[in-house]
Amino acid sequence: MFSLLFVLLLFGCTAKQTAPEAEEETEEELTQRALAIHKRVLTLDTHADTPLRMIEPGFDMAERHDPRETGSKVDYPRMIEGGLDAIFFAAFVAQDIRDDDGNTRAKALCLQMIDSIVTSTEKNSDIVGLAVNPDDAYTLEKAGKRAIYIGIENGYPIGQDISNVAEYFDKGVRYITLVHSANNDLADSATDPDGPEHGGISTFGEEVVKEMNRLGIMVDVSHGNDSVFYDAIALSKAPIIASHSNARAVTNHERNMTDEMLKLMAENGGVVQLTMLADYLREAPPNPQRDSAVAELRATMTAISEMTDEERAALRQSFQELNEKYPNPPAMVEHVADHIDHIAKIAGIDHVGIGCDFDGGGGIEGVFDASEVMNITVELVKRGYTEEEIEKIWGGNLIRVFKEVQAVAEQIQSGASS
Amino acid sequence: MGLLGPAITAIAHPLRLSLCEIEYLSDKQMLTINLKLFLTDVNEAIVFDPYSNELAFCQPQESAQANPMLLDYLNRFFYVKVNGQLVDLQIKHKKLSGEGDNTALWVYFEHQQRPPLASLEIKNAVFTDLFFDQNNIVYVHARGESKSLMLNKKTAVHQLAF
Repeated sequence: MFSLLFVLLLFGCTAKQTAPEAEEETEEELTQRALAIHKRVLTLDTHADTPLRMIEPGFDMAERHDPRETGSKVDYPRMIEGGLDAIFFAAFVAQDIRDDDGNTRAKALCLQMIDSIVTSTEKNSDIVGLAVNPDDAYTLEKAGKRAIYIGIENGYPIGQDISNVAEYFDKGVRYITLVHSANNDLADSATDPDGPEHGGISTFGEEVVKEMNRLGIMVDVSHGNDSVFYDAIALSKAPIIASHSNARAVTNHERNMTDEMLKLMAENGGVVQLTMLADYLREAPPNPQRDSAVAELRATMTAISEMTDEERAALRQSFQELNEKYPNPPAMVEHVADHIDHIAKIAGIDHVGIGCDFDGGGGIEGVFDASEVMNITVELVKRGYTEEEIEKIWGGNLIRVFKEVQAVAEQIQSGASS
Repeated sequence: MGLLGPAITAIAHPLRLSLCEIEYLSDKQMLTINLKLFLTDVNEAIVFDPYSNELAFCQPQESAQANPMLLDYLNRFFYVKVNGQLVDLQIKHKKLSGEGDNTALWVYFEHQQRPPLASLEIKNAVFTDLFFDQNNIVYVHARGESKSLMLNKKTAVHQLAF
């Protein structure tokens, strides 16, 4: 699969050859201008599940990995290649039993993930640095290093012990996604098969939000159901974020945000960070050719239980060949820009950013991994976004929110101590 | 992270994930293994059709072939060795949770194991025959500690010493 940049350069050359006298900017010139902008602005991705890779035995963040061989989407060489200056690595623990044992284990697993992030930054201190404050991203960028921030995806490891929030803050955590794919003790998930349990944020979750405000941890509503969003907007003294969510009016998915939510996010001063999950970016188009070819193959199959291992392996190969012959149309960088256009139109340019969800399912044609994120900038330039606007989208907006969250924390702490 | 569930196609590069939880209960001298697998992946792996109901897992009409075929598949891609000895996987029970594409099949195993627990070797390459980017999270709880691992096609096996 070719990167979009390659395609753009190819077309750029063609355009230059066919219209050498045109005064209008050629594709190649536009691409070069976009790449220069990409290099100048702070590029910050608010969501990557790369810590899941860090717990893979032998996985080395300093090595470049082939995403089409291993599925890995982020390592430090590819961050450099893609001009990605800063990233939030999310410590994720899958939702499990909500009792004392479960909570204790979740905390241990979360701390292990956080430690793996810190260890990785220490081991690679020549090229990256651990970041805990908004300005750290700029300081590290000037020093030629990538900024590594820490988030927690799923408030489950807080359990029912509010003191854990401060412990995670002390470890460097600067946002917490309240809930993941199932309800927890803090909040309701957008995707729990049993439906809502608390009607949004629970009573304990309210305490957690207050504590996050007091400490200066950003409240992340991605994965929460709509009520969680409205509760967070009402409860939080500081602006909130959606670290990886898209626009529901563009793609109707429960994980995406309605126009009403986008408008409220703007009033709140928060930011929605666009994610590269194909299903959140576009409706999966039908693939009738593949479907009929698969049906044809299935019609020829004998009973699976009577097949030898060799016959099963051959059949598997045949299915894989069909998948390769009739690939589904992928989500493209244009879909990302469609969502950005929409959020910018509804909420305003100050309330949209990027949170790719690499290593958590994110990755599309043209922005398959961290080495290709510059293609987002190319598409934005193509659509007429200015450098100032792109600077906001790529990090400025999130840093603004981050600073406001810290300012609110300072006010709360000074008020509490006076 | 996207939902812990599969997308419909094999081409869309969705998140491909399974969960495995291994716990040693020293007071009961028992090792428990819980696998959380997405039903569409299980069906795709065993009967080549993600939406097949041929095996009808956990339904009243569950096929007599369901457990043998599931075990046959798992034995090719998954094992646990305790103190160097292979655990004979016998399904204790199964359950379904979730709905639609996010339906998960939970498979529970129990294994009597006298102390001391000196080492665990885990192989988890389930569904790596289907998806190049399949990742399998393994949580291990033993001797008062919890540890997580990510196993996949490239790194399918890992040993833990206690």
